[in-house]
Amino acid sequence: MRCRTIFTVLLLLSAIFLFAGVYIGSVSLSPSDVTSSLVYGIERSLPGFSNPSAKPRFFVIVWELRLPRVLMAYLVGISLASAGVASQALFKNPMADPYLLGISGGAGVGAAVGFEYFPSHVSLLAFAFSLLAVYTVYSVSKVNGRIPVDTLLLSGVAFGFMAGAVTSYFVSIGKNSHLTYMWLMGSFSASGWGDVAELSLVLALGLSFFLWKWRELNLLLFGEESVTLGLNVQRFRKEVIFFVTLLTSVPVASTGIIGFVGLISPHIARLLVGPNHRRLTPAAALIGGILMVAADLVARTVARPTEIPVGIVTAMMGGPFFLYLLRKHKRGELKR
Amino acid sequence: MRLSVNVSFSYGSRRVLRDVAFSAERGELIAVIGPNGAGKSTLLKCISGILKPEGRVELDSLDVLSLPPRERARLIAYVPQSSYPEFNFTVREFVEMGTYFTGGSVDEALAKVGMLERGGESIMKLSGGEYQLVMIARALAQNPRVMLLDEPTSHLDINHALLVMELLSFLKEEKILIAVLHDLDLAIRYADRVIILSSGRKVWEGSVGELTPKILEGVYGSRFEFVEGKLGRGLIAALDSKPLNPL
Repeated sequence: MRCRTIFTVLLLLSAIFLFAGVYIGSVSLSPSDVTSSLVYGIERSLPGFSNPSAKPRFFVIVWELRLPRVLMAYLVGISLASAGVASQALFKNPMADPYLLGISGGAGVGAAVGFEYFPSHVSLLAFAFSLLAVYTVYSVSKVNGRIPVDTLLLSGVAFGFMAGAVTSYFVSIGKNSHLTYMWLMGSFSASGWGDVAELSLVLALGLSFFLWKWRELNLLLFGEESVTLGLNVQRFRKEVIFFVTLLTSVPVASTGIIGFVGLISPHIARLLVGPNHRRLTPAAALIGGILMVAADLVARTVARPTEIPVGIVTAMMGGPFFLYLLRKHKRGELKR
Repeated sequence: MRLSVNVSFSYGSRRVLRDVAFSAERGELIAVIGPNGAGKSTLLKCISGILKPEGRVELDSLDVLSLPPRERARLIAYVPQSSYPEFNFTVREFVEMGTYFTGGSVDEALAKVGMLERGGESIMKLSGGEYQLVMIARALAQNPRVMLLDEPTSHLDINHALLVMELLSFLKEEKILIAVLHDLDLAIRYADRVIILSSGRKVWEGSVGELTPKILEGVYGSRFEFVEGKLGRGLIAALDSKPLNPL
């Protein structure tokens, strides 16, 4: 019963923040501007539409700029948060986040190389390098077909440092280093309907896998011993790595490296609904979406008309929260 | 129903178990004892499928090691060495994990360990003894034929230790029970058969009545004496080597 209330509230908050995200911006709109544009946009995409002259004012701002951007923020938040839940189960470590597999490090190198040498293929390179990074971390950790998660964690961290050094190298010698730098902090300013469609597809696959496999994720917390409870733990780990990679590298490739949401959302969700993945994954996903829309809203309004990278906002919100978690961890209460 | 085990295991080039062979039947509690590093926990991990040993583990001539985990979990349950619970599951949620792939009953399992009324409590708020009972309940919820328990009484006060051992004495009537025990006193009081491991080999096996202080002395290096009292048989041990004197 209590859980149902929590989910209702999270869904309501999602709706409120999505609307606010479209409503608030550097051009002031009225609520009716927003609703009429939304209604028109939906009508237009239905079959049998015939009234092209009645296009509301600000339709372009609402439908072509803000709506895809806000939706993208919401979907990226959901992706990173659900990948975060799965990473924490995989590593049996509440400090784990989806970037630990090397995705952000690889994507950073790819983007840096892209901005210097192939500026029209930055996303593609970031994506390719993030996959390469996961493959490297994974191969280094694999022993006789098994993946010891401690080794995976350490090689992920080590790889992250190396990738960070390579990225810094390109930033320090490059001509377009300001672009790389902005990209590294993440932004939704370039998000369009194409990105939304692409990520929706990925999310449909990845999130349904994690929602469907809630039992397996619970058992994963017991590590190797979970095999005695019936989990094919070695195979499931590989599946989790695959879907975490999918849910992380696709958003990173199109919006940059946005930190902390993948780490914090699972924690907030755990405080609200407990550690059982049956409720934890959907709760964390919704929280991730809400947080990301809120962070993006702050990022594009706090220094109007200039936008700041959304990663700065999530880090500013996430940093203090992370420290708070660390302090709780000292008292052994973190995993509650 | 008969479990026959014959396994060897190496961590890399280090041989941890060497041709450890025995068989077990329902109705007897088997205690695996031996000094630290003898390979006792490794033996249980090999039988339960956590580790992949060389050799065979058969349940009524069914090769359990080659079964997929789901099917093996219906036959063999493993109660790990008790550690502090790390996640805030409720007792019921925790025991339910035993049933995910086996289809056993949570209520029945909780009732067997006397925790039916406490399903809604957080496992983090339980005492060590209660947590151990819940871990046993999770194994029972798998409805297995064989239960393997790794030091089920470690960290428990004497009353909870006795409670757990008495519970095992009842369970042995319907399941094959193999427990690694550090407490030799509890082992000789509750076990029906004893297997002694030392440096990865089985050095002795027999009924608890055949166990003599001399056999234990050969394995542990301490001196032992069995005593009989009104409450049953007990064990007294004394150091045989020169004690460490820090003063």
